[in-house]
Amino acid sequence: MAKVDSKKKGILAELYGTFFSKSWPMWVGGILLGVGNIALFLVLKPWGASGGIYVWGANLYNSVFSTGFGFKGGPLPAVGMFPYSIICFLLFLGAMGAALMSKQFAFRFPPVGELLKGLIGGVIMGIGAMVGKSCTLGGYFSGMAALSVGAVVFTIGLGLGTWIAVKYLMFEIMKFPKISSGKTASVLGAGKGKGAWQPYVGALVLIWGLVIAFKYTDSSSVRAWYAAIGLFFGFVCQRSRFCLVRALREPFTSGDSKPAIGAMAGILVSMFGFTVIKFMGIRDAMLWVWPHFWIPAIIGGIIFGIGMTIAGGCIVGSLWRAGEGHIKLYFAIIGAALSMPFATKYIAAPLYSALPASMQTKVFLPDYVGYGASVGLFLLFFLAWYYLVKWNERTGKFSAY
Amino acid sequence: MQSDQVLDCKGLSCPMPIMKLAITMKKFETDKVLELLTTDPGSKDDVPAWCERTGNDLLEIVEEGDGFAFFIRKA
Repeated sequence: MAKVDSKKKGILAELYGTFFSKSWPMWVGGILLGVGNIALFLVLKPWGASGGIYVWGANLYNSVFSTGFGFKGGPLPAVGMFPYSIICFLLFLGAMGAALMSKQFAFRFPPVGELLKGLIGGVIMGIGAMVGKSCTLGGYFSGMAALSVGAVVFTIGLGLGTWIAVKYLMFEIMKFPKISSGKTASVLGAGKGKGAWQPYVGALVLIWGLVIAFKYTDSSSVRAWYAAIGLFFGFVCQRSRFCLVRALREPFTSGDSKPAIGAMAGILVSMFGFTVIKFMGIRDAMLWVWPHFWIPAIIGGIIFGIGMTIAGGCIVGSLWRAGEGHIKLYFAIIGAALSMPFATKYIAAPLYSALPASMQTKVFLPDYVGYGASVGLFLLFFLAWYYLVKWNERTGKFSAY
Repeated sequence: MQSDQVLDCKGLSCPMPIMKLAITMKKFETDKVLELLTTDPGSKDDVPAWCERTGNDLLEIVEEGDGFAFFIRKA
């Protein structure tokens, strides 16, 4: 009997190990996120993050200083009512649950210089997101899937910003190594003989997330779905270590092509779903095609790219790493939330009013060449991107090491 | 395991451990062993992948305390 029990346990342990002992391949993460992204679009709109973080920051300012920040020309939604704020928080919870379930959670305090880089990177990201009207989701992951040409420009901007910031990081490590060294601490972590509690607490965190989603069903099925999918996104991001920053950064550092392939997998899956949704008229075709083509997209992309590389995560990357316990990324989120309301009012608004209308347009590719050719052109773009990262991985042409 | 130099990247998150590793290894002598300490769970995937790509020998991974110690011999 005892033998049977131990065998049973072995099989369950194996199942548990499949999900929680090793990282999932990034392309698996990408595909799952792409499927979730389609689900989100069917529920309401595609995945985004900067709007959610803006609402956090603006609500904080309004409640403490009565600043009166609005949102996109209207009143400011409450944090608990705005779907994109809900998705951000639940993503954080899902990642925390996944990290605990895998015994990878710990509050990791880096040297002070790193915390500062998190904060500054976050502030820069906030400015870039407001100027470019998107982050790595709206102007890259979901934006390209929405067949927006502005998103391609924004993504190219992100690549340029990443390249600049990688140069800076190399310079910093060589000339000012003290910024990233010094006193560190790790609290509540698992290790040899420690942290057996983590999977149990992780399960509780995930259940808590599901309860939040369920509670929203009383008021709005949209919010409930956003909460549930957010929880799923956080879980998938942590388990696959999915990272849109790495997708753009690795070609300039290690040359690893896996993160880029993960990103492309997710964008492609999203793109096929989005195209059907838009073509069939299930949702407005212009959704997630932002009026940032081309000046705001390129400038915003460069700024955001610099910020995310210095912070070590875009908005989503920072949220899931914060869930895993990296204190630096909490600072990145705080920096972004605090800078966004001011960046909108004092940087983005004057820029948009100074630019001619022709430089801040929505460009939806199917309006020019039809849906079929648009998908074809995007496929060619991804093929070229894939070829480039693979070629670079082999030759190390653009890689620093 | 013995090492010739320790690179402490505890508390650091992506991309700092790998960038510091790569820059340190550039100046490192062949056949010497570097001990890299990290607490980022991502380093468990990234360090072996980096060693494989660059041809450096990953001699041992020790899970200790809250993180990892990687012993890498410069090839």
